[in-house]
Amino acid sequence: MSTVTRIAREEWRLWLRSKVVVVAALIVAVLLAATSVLTVNRIAAEQSQRIEQQVAAEQTFFAQPDRHPHRMVHYGHYAFRPPPPLAVFEPGVDAVTGQSIFLEGHRQNTAMFADTKAAADLGGFASLTPASLYQLLLPLLLIVLGHAIFLRERESGTLAVMLAQGQSGTRLALGKATALLAVIAIFMIPLIGVAAYSISLGESALAAISLVAGYFVYLCVWGAIVLAASILLKQRAVSLGALIFVWLFAALIVPRFAINASSAAIDAPGKIESDLVMLAEQRKLGDGHNAADPAFMQLQAQVLQQYGVETIEELPINWRGVVASFSEAELTELLNSYAEKRMGLEASQSRLFGLFGVVSPTIAISSASRTLAGTDLATHHRFLRESEDLRFGFVQALNEKHVTALDYQVDLNRNNGEEASRAATINASAWRVLDEFRFAPDSASQRMDRAMLSLAILIAWLIAATGVVYIASRKVKL
Amino acid sequence: MLGHLTRETRFLIKDRGALFWLLLAFVLSIVAVTFGIAEVSEQRETIATLIKEDAADRANALEGQEDWGSAAYYAFHLTYAPPSDFAFAAMGQRDSSPWKHRVRMLALEGQIHEADTRNADFGLVGRFDFAFLAASVAPLLLILLLYDLRASERTMRRHDLLVATAGSSRSLWLPRALVRVTALVLLLLIPLWVGAMIEGTAASLALQASGIVVASLLVWWLIVELIGRLDASPSILLTSLIGLWLALAIVVPAVSKAAIEAANPVPDGGEILLLQRETVNDAWDLPAEATMEPFVERHPEYADHSEIGEEGFEWKWYYAFQQVGDQVVEPLATQYREARLARDAQAGLASWLSPTSLVERAFEKLAGTDARSMIAYENQVRAYHGELRAFYYPLMFPEEPFDADALSDLPAYDPQES
Repeated sequence: MSTVTRIAREEWRLWLRSKVVVVAALIVAVLLAATSVLTVNRIAAEQSQRIEQQVAAEQTFFAQPDRHPHRMVHYGHYAFRPPPPLAVFEPGVDAVTGQSIFLEGHRQNTAMFADTKAAADLGGFASLTPASLYQLLLPLLLIVLGHAIFLRERESGTLAVMLAQGQSGTRLALGKATALLAVIAIFMIPLIGVAAYSISLGESALAAISLVAGYFVYLCVWGAIVLAASILLKQRAVSLGALIFVWLFAALIVPRFAINASSAAIDAPGKIESDLVMLAEQRKLGDGHNAADPAFMQLQAQVLQQYGVETIEELPINWRGVVASFSEAELTELLNSYAEKRMGLEASQSRLFGLFGVVSPTIAISSASRTLAGTDLATHHRFLRESEDLRFGFVQALNEKHVTALDYQVDLNRNNGEEASRAATINASAWRVLDEFRFAPDSASQRMDRAMLSLAILIAWLIAATGVVYIASRKVKL
Repeated sequence: MLGHLTRETRFLIKDRGALFWLLLAFVLSIVAVTFGIAEVSEQRETIATLIKEDAADRANALEGQEDWGSAAYYAFHLTYAPPSDFAFAAMGQRDSSPWKHRVRMLALEGQIHEADTRNADFGLVGRFDFAFLAASVAPLLLILLLYDLRASERTMRRHDLLVATAGSSRSLWLPRALVRVTALVLLLLIPLWVGAMIEGTAASLALQASGIVVASLLVWWLIVELIGRLDASPSILLTSLIGLWLALAIVVPAVSKAAIEAANPVPDGGEILLLQRETVNDAWDLPAEATMEPFVERHPEYADHSEIGEEGFEWKWYYAFQQVGDQVVEPLATQYREARLARDAQAGLASWLSPTSLVERAFEKLAGTDARSMIAYENQVRAYHGELRAFYYPLMFPEEPFDADALSDLPAYDPQES
């Protein structure tokens, strides 16, 4: 048996004899297991519920009776975002954003009914997920286990003996590092289990393995910080105090500070604010319900010329439908430009937040973790974009039916009594224009691309922290 | 006693470790208060801009309208909950619940759940506000300041000597801890007081907030004192204290939260919307009586004006089915609100198990940023929407001739009204 493993085994023997260490490790293990089971169940239930709701929304849409096509534009549709498989580990922003959105003509709605709005308010960080345990609690456990891992040899005088026997400081540190690494490896097991489970749910192996690897690197960073402190500092209490400070700073203070800073640095106006600016512009576009609006005169001239007729009554198509389709396209372009601007500002806020990973590895891992799990802000934005495509798609398809399948005179006459309004409908088979919508997470390689910066920051942390350990251990003297 | 205190103050000034934690508390408090004030003033600015833009937009929308129905259809009205003069200390639910809406006289249930909240990452991580500092971070700092008062003397082998020469342990440990706790409290509170002065917070509010901070730190002091009496090494004491902090600040709130939410299910918001939409949309296909009957039931005063003609489109009917849409989902919407209130009430009880939750909730309550205040704002929006209906209905249903000047009497939203 080499000296390195012997040192590591000795360390483990001591840990297993210490009540504090065993109790702390057991508590963390129980919390981890309980949270994982609860989160897995909750997310699994949500996922099947959302998919059912999506299918049900489509069925109800198809099942609508014969109607005026524009009525179906206002009837609208829903888009649901089922949580991705890895959400069982990292639910991410889903709780904050709301996961369903109502789609209708002339409007872009926000996702409604976020869980947090109805949550029981118990302050700061009241919700525990497997990911937050790994990010916050495991570093603390490593601190409790390892703050004296090296300096206790100094305290008890065994360091002098070992150095005198010709052991180098680096070998000693390597032994201690092995002991800590074994702890980290054991506590990776629940994560590996959850990742394997997510693969069985259809998650890509690449994303799941990268997530596991990311957390492994993160915990190694903390292991190295702990080891470095216990080599550099000479007293247990000082080492523990210093490490608790580092934890407090990295895990609690910097992330919230970064939120304040990025919201102060980049001002992203809310939807109401940007909508108001937009409404003023929109009024210039004309009201798509009113085909006589002067804003459509140019369109009218163009369409009349295209069909070589003099009046809109002579057109072989329904002029009201043409106007509806035209104004929807114009309006959507405007809505999208504002939505993109807003999402762009939010994305840059989040990027700025991610850069604070340089100061706190906890930020780096949490950004990487949300991205790899597919529960980050970028995925939410993609959901908004895709549901907007879905909205525009069915609204325009219905407008197309309005143009071609409904006679102009009959349409004009629609408010004159029951019979006339029944005549101004089209066959319900036309509702089949609605596309099937199944929101899927980004491909693993796209998520990897997005997470690259955060992962690189984490690796830089690991290199820096092990560098400090190496240098400190080479200089170990009595 | 005074002599003991001045002695201990002199010791403290030489203790670099303790000074570091105290300085940290002071800096963090300044940071939290500064960010809080910046955020609050940004929200006020946003509201001021919105008020101006909203009025301009409404004037524009109302211009050239020829009937009551279109006026009500095109005119949006801003509602908002301005941040209180203490909101800088606790942003609370303002990050996850909406505090501004633009509503019009259509079915309210389709509008009130719109959430104009910030970047989702913000709601996820949370802000570094004073409430968080006082509730979660300050106890940790207190632990770091006090845990080794006795144990460090033991390690230095001075403990027994000190106890023997001091006569009573009270004159030894009490002043030492008292000086540190007082220093921590003052350094935390001074920036808060300055912030309160800048914001013009009522003195009684600032006093209550200070009382909460003092009381919570006294509780934590007691905990540290009790654990500190164990004859264990400083690192074991610190480990146990951190474990206790973790349990009280993170585990207990998380477990109570999960239990409360499981015990009080909230109706699925999607269902409220779906039902409301279905009702409003189905009304187009139903005979007008199907809408007018439930409407007249709620508004018997318009019974004589509820006849809808065969020909043409009538705004009366349109707004009646908007109203009926709201009426149909009323039970669900009430249930949603009641469940949120019930969760909040139980969270209030559960927070007695965790000093951190208690402090944060108390701060949010003082700042008017707790769940209750956010629901109160929602009720205000409902009331205002009711006023809009009360304004238009008597004009629209008896078919009073349209008078553009009458629109200057449109009810104005007043955030103070309750």
